[in-house]
Amino acid sequence: MSQLYDLKVLIETKIAAGGLDSAEVRGKIALKAGRLLSFISPSTPDDPAGVAKLKQAIKDVLNINA
Amino acid sequence: MKFKSIQVKVLIALVVCLVLGTGCVVELMDYFTVENSRALATEAATGSQKLFTILEAREVSKMTAVSDALMMNTEVRDAFAAKDRSRLLALTAPLYPQLKSEGITNWMFHTSEPDMSVFLRLHNPAKFGDHLNRFIDKEVARTHDPVGGNELARAGFALRIIRPVYDSKGVVTGYVEFGEELGQFIHALKSQTGNDYGLLLNKKFVDKQFWADSSATLKRRDNWDDNAGFVVADRTTANDNIIQFNGDLATVPELGKVLEQYRDGNSVFVRALFPIRDAAGNTVGAMFVVRDITAVYTEMRKTQNILLAVTVISLSVGIFLVLMLLNRFIFQRLKRILKAATRLVGGDFETEIKTDSDDEVGQLEKLFEQFRNIFVSVLAEISEAQVTK
Repeated sequence: MSQLYDLKVLIETKIAAGGLDSAEVRGKIALKAGRLLSFISPSTPDDPAGVAKLKQAIKDVLNINA
Repeated sequence: MKFKSIQVKVLIALVVCLVLGTGCVVELMDYFTVENSRALATEAATGSQKLFTILEAREVSKMTAVSDALMMNTEVRDAFAAKDRSRLLALTAPLYPQLKSEGITNWMFHTSEPDMSVFLRLHNPAKFGDHLNRFIDKEVARTHDPVGGNELARAGFALRIIRPVYDSKGVVTGYVEFGEELGQFIHALKSQTGNDYGLLLNKKFVDKQFWADSSATLKRRDNWDDNAGFVVADRTTANDNIIQFNGDLATVPELGKVLEQYRDGNSVFVRALFPIRDAAGNTVGAMFVVRDITAVYTEMRKTQNILLAVTVISLSVGIFLVLMLLNRFIFQRLKRILKAATRLVGGDFETEIKTDSDDEVGQLEKLFEQFRNIFVSVLAEISEAQVTK
């Protein structure tokens, strides 16, 4: 599994655990990361820049270090 | 400082408008207060000047009538023609107290030209034989017609008329003169207008020593050094400070000059002066006019404060309404679009933005809705393609 997918799972977990508005949180992270989370699958290849941007988006929106 | 929110920028702009608007109103009110004060001062000066002219004309008429009556007295004319001072004094002295009670303070007989000396002063019989050499003396000798006007003597200013006295053969035997101190005019002016007045005399036309002597005689304070260019001959106000003028009386315009306001505690006064000319047309003095505008000024300030409060309240309500309208018609709708766009990207494909507005934001809402439909279709196609694979 790719690192991007792991991050996507992390996001879903946090949303479920926190009872957050899934569409809104996913939307904010997607806009900041510059990619749709729906398109991230276990086979999505990693790219360092994409991973870094997604991590930063998670930190900005969920305030956690992925 | 950089503000991201248009709302904050608009609020700042509106507050600036409020401050500027209030400032403009304050300035405008101050301007009108000053202009109104000037108008009141101008009105006081103009009205007083007209009244002064009327009083002068009335007193000249009165003195002319007195002289006419006197000329009908053959005993007086004969005594004067004979230059019998004792007899002339005996005949005229009983009349003087009555004339004095009417305001005629000066009564003189002059010999004819070329001597033109004072033959008899009813107001000071012991003093005679002096030559006054004034404009009205020369003018009456030149024309042999009655001459009237203000004449500034060394220690005082009086409205005078002088006319020739003829004997039974129609020969001029001398001249008779009546005069009223101008100082008494200011009390008449005050009683009619309610304003206060001061009679100013240009020092160039007044003898300092004579002024000091006459001040001692009249038991008044010698005020020669109070002001640089003029002396206050008489005044109706007890306040010495209110009569101030730093200019040259000779430069006071014909229609008068408005001076700055004067404040004394809570009282506000406007001041003005108008020139007083002698019979020769020289500006030898001025009438200082003081009008108490405290009541009017208080009302003006009260109105100003009310207007200011109304302005601030109106502008504040206006600002509140503008912000409320902007919030309702623009900012809330923009936030709704932002939220819908975020949710769309987050996977919520059902949040529609419904609008029937055709304004600028409405066009954006419709555009967003079209974009949303296209986005959802594209995503569906991509998902279908992945499933097919």
